[in-house]
Amino acid sequence: MFVLPGYDAFLGFLLIATAVPVLALVTNKLVAPRSRAGERQLTYESGMEPMGGAWIQFNIRYYMFALVFVIFDVETVFLYPWAVAFHRLGLLAFIEALIFIAILVVALAYAWRKGALEWS
Amino acid sequence: MTIANSTELICFVVLAAVVVLGSLGVVLLSNIVYSAFLLGGVFMAVAGLYLLLNASFVAAAQVLVYVGAVNVLILFAIMLVNKREDLKPVEGLQLRRLLSGGVCAGLLILLVRVVVSTPWAVPGPAAIGEGATERIGEHLFTDYLLPFELASVLLLMAMIGAIVLARRDVLEADVGTGDAVDQGLIEKPSTPLLVDQSTR
Repeated sequence: MFVLPGYDAFLGFLLIATAVPVLALVTNKLVAPRSRAGERQLTYESGMEPMGGAWIQFNIRYYMFALVFVIFDVETVFLYPWAVAFHRLGLLAFIEALIFIAILVVALAYAWRKGALEWS
Repeated sequence: MTIANSTELICFVVLAAVVVLGSLGVVLLSNIVYSAFLLGGVFMAVAGLYLLLNASFVAAAQVLVYVGAVNVLILFAIMLVNKREDLKPVEGLQLRRLLSGGVCAGLLILLVRVVVSTPWAVPGPAAIGEGATERIGEHLFTDYLLPFELASVLLLMAMIGAIVLARRDVLEADVGTGDAVDQGLIEKPSTPLLVDQSTR
């Protein structure tokens, strides 16, 4: 049995969201003038000229951000039911969530101290 | 058949088709980046299946963790080692394919037997739908409080372990053999953010 209410709106949103790129591409194909010369062949026509290939090796540095992101992503999953049931849980749960976040602030401080958040 | 039922059926068929075709694409495509992006699509479709099963919290967690985190990590790992070299053909490929096909067929037979012999119509409590997330929150902050707080400690350990392993500046030599560790993973202070392979 399908009992989730409110997901008909979500389904409509999904349909419209898939229609937007399809319509954009189809209109582009129908309306835009056809020319295959010069800058038409570039990846992006009105910006800087692209240099090199698109298949490049990324710096290892980006991986650190991804790793740190994963940790806080999982933290979000744990905090999500607390946010949904916030009004029914009361003050005690608020303090418990604060303890949870405080322990993860230690992780953030460690990452910061070790330079995992340095961009340059 | 009501509108809700037929909508559910159509959604299930579309999602199942996306899962099956996407998984086949993940396995069969030769470009590994396409495989990784298709894997993200498969994860999204599985999240849609969870939604159909009235498990909205599991669906949200699936999107957050698998699409948002695991798939991003896979993509990063691919982009980090993105050396486009041709693979060497494996010897005895036909025999290997035959063997793995046999193993897969055995697994399939086992699964079909399980599906056929399982009594599916088990009477259970009615699905609570959207209220499930609230219920999970209540249980998490009363009965399962200690595991919840321990989860943060586990995340802290994971963070420290990930940083130590990724930076590796604490390990000068291999612990087991005593040889110098491959220092390629250590961040150089002044390398450019994008390394163009053509200039190497």
